[in-house]
Amino acid sequence: MKKALLLIALFAGIVAAQPAPTYAAGDGAVPPEMEWSFRGFNPEWDVEQIFRGYKVATQVCMACHSFKYIKHRDLMKLGFSEEQVASLADEMGLGLDDKLISALTTEAALMSYGTEIPDLSLMNMARPHGADYLHALLVGYEEAPEGVSVPAGKHYNKYFPGHVIAMPKPLTMDGQVEYPEGSKVEPTVDQMAKDVSAFIEWTGEPILVKRKTLGVYVLLYLLIFTILSYMLMKSIWSDVKKK
Amino acid sequence: MKNFINWFDDRLPIFSVIKHSTTEYPAPKNLNYWWNFGSLALICLVTQILTGLFLAMHYKPDAATAFDSIQHIMRDVEWGWLLRYVHMVGAHFFFIVVYIHIFRGLYFGSYKQPREVLWGLGVVILFLMILTAFMGYVLPWGQMSYWGATVITNLLSVIPLVGDNVVVWLWGGYSVGDPTLNRFFALHFLMPFVIVGVVFLHLWALHHKGSNNPKGIDLKKETDWIPFHPYYTIKDTFGLGVYFIFFLGMVFYAPNILGHTDNYIPANPMVTPSHIVPEWYFLPFYAILRAIPSKLIGVVAMVAAILILFALPWLDRSKVRAATFRPIYKQMFWIFLINCFVLGWVGANPPEGMYVLIGRVATVLYFAFFLLLPVVSRFEKTKPVPTSL
Ligand code: HEC
Ligand code: HEM
Repeated sequence: MKKALLLIALFAGIVAAQPAPTYAAGDGAVPPEMEWSFRGFNPEWDVEQIFRGYKVATQVCMACHSFKYIKHRDLMKLGFSEEQVASLADEMGLGLDDKLISALTTEAALMSYGTEIPDLSLMNMARPHGADYLHALLVGYEEAPEGVSVPAGKHYNKYFPGHVIAMPKPLTMDGQVEYPEGSKVEPTVDQMAKDVSAFIEWTGEPILVKRKTLGVYVLLYLLIFTILSYMLMKSIWSDVKKK
Repeated sequence: MKNFINWFDDRLPIFSVIKHSTTEYPAPKNLNYWWNFGSLALICLVTQILTGLFLAMHYKPDAATAFDSIQHIMRDVEWGWLLRYVHMVGAHFFFIVVYIHIFRGLYFGSYKQPREVLWGLGVVILFLMILTAFMGYVLPWGQMSYWGATVITNLLSVIPLVGDNVVVWLWGGYSVGDPTLNRFFALHFLMPFVIVGVVFLHLWALHHKGSNNPKGIDLKKETDWIPFHPYYTIKDTFGLGVYFIFFLGMVFYAPNILGHTDNYIPANPMVTPSHIVPEWYFLPFYAILRAIPSKLIGVVAMVAAILILFALPWLDRSKVRAATFRPIYKQMFWIFLINCFVLGWVGANPPEGMYVLIGRVATVLYFAFFLLLPVVSRFEKTKPVPTSL
């Protein structure tokens, strides 16, 4: 038994050691952990927040970035009606089934920023710390420290691996995006960063909440199954003489 | 019905073979829970084949569309996300189960006479699993898929004279690309069925000589045996329940935790990731590869690390099977096990500074386990072994 525990501890240790290499020297600072409605034991999508994030994403980020795995119809899975979603799409000159593709072409991006611009749909899944990193990145622009030179057209960001990023600070001032009437929060830079990060969590894995909620029932079922089979095992084995 | 079964069985004894080798199959009565992992491995294989089959109906093995087709599975296919996560987490758990299964064999001396062939077939399965998982990991065509495939296939270039040609032949071009993905998909689909074949032989060999047991002794008394059914069918069912709690717990709550985030970035031949790390189940072998400065010898050592398992039944001369009665071997076993974790840890880190030194020491220790066995097993004073359970 002690050995089994030792084994489990060792295994846990290896699992814990896994992401270590991602944070070798020279990488970005570790982003602070935030509260998110989709984390923890009772996860849910904060639809209002995601909608605010949608506003930030479509009005700010989409000047440069695409969300190629998302179309307006997908918003209906969050509870929006077809009319609501259709009118949102219409405002952008899009149909319900058009993907959210930025007008900025790859060539234009290369010309202006010297790099390709990543699609944002899967961004939270493609970075360690997911939404925490995204939020931190968006508010992590600062003056380059003494002795660090930032090439022209690049910017210093505390959380970006290597610290020198081609993306100009996208969220620059409070009120940059107009939030829907009756919103519980003000569009401060920090709030917009949070909201768009929540939106991108949703675009990354729209089934996340469904997955975790379903998980509870699956595990409960398994628990009952396991207890019953344990009892059955004990009764079947009761006639086998020990040693 | 009964008459028909008898008539059929008389001509093709399928029913009596099934009955003989499942329900009536005699098993030692003292098998502990470490003996559950064989049947669990079988469940893993079946799970991978079933989920893989349905994934293959929606996946596109084309460099231009592979990455998108995974997202299509995750978003548009009914229950596609569940299929994919079960397959993905399933691969990790398959290795956890099989590694435990192997270490069980090491501890209780299951590799010894008369089970050398059974053990050897197991090593073949491990080897095939490694190939299958390696090629499967390429299919989502993310950054780690691409660069992992590049690094590992490049290793074949060390083959003297023809190495470079072999690599080009394998790639179907001058770098990992569309033809590589295509053939890896075909092979990844095929290999699990080859594994099924070897598993069949593995079980045949098992049933021919019977299971080993925690005492590692030959059981002669009738009362030491019990029929597989219902005793072990129910015990395996219970084990399956416990296993599924862990496995599905991971599927539903942390499906990506053992994977690398870079694999959610589409493959890009122009951008090399800062650290190319293989999946955790390859890390000990990867560490051995990198521990040796010469690439050629590194590759040889990495392959030898698996091949040497074939020789184990002959390296270990001791007549006593279970480590319980072998004080020195027991120590060696635990050092070997811990050393494998150390190798895994070294493999996960960049080959710099202290990791190089630790990696080299651990590599020496890995092989020392095998090379010391012929000597140790000769001089080891074993404890008295019981003659029945
Ligand atoms: C003016 C164009 C522009 C706008 C607007 C813009 N970005 Fe970017 N973004 C870029 C460029 C260019 C890069 C590539 C940076 C690099 O690789 O150095 C980038 C990269 C990123 C990355 C990847 C960072 C990494 O870890 O590699 C994230 C995340 C990101 N942007 C989020 C956003 C969000 C969220 C918004 C909206 C609030 C936004 N961007 C708006 C140009 C823009
Ligand atoms: C020994 C059994 C198997 C192992 C160990 C295995 C392992 C893997 C691994 C590690 C991946 C990458 C996971 C990911 O990141 O998505 C993968 C993907 C895949 N496998 Fe398998 N697999 C096995 C059997 C099968 C079988 C039998 C099939 C088909 C008949 C199959 C079809 C696929 C497909 C289509 C993918 C790509 C989809 C995806 O990435 O999820 N696999 N496999």
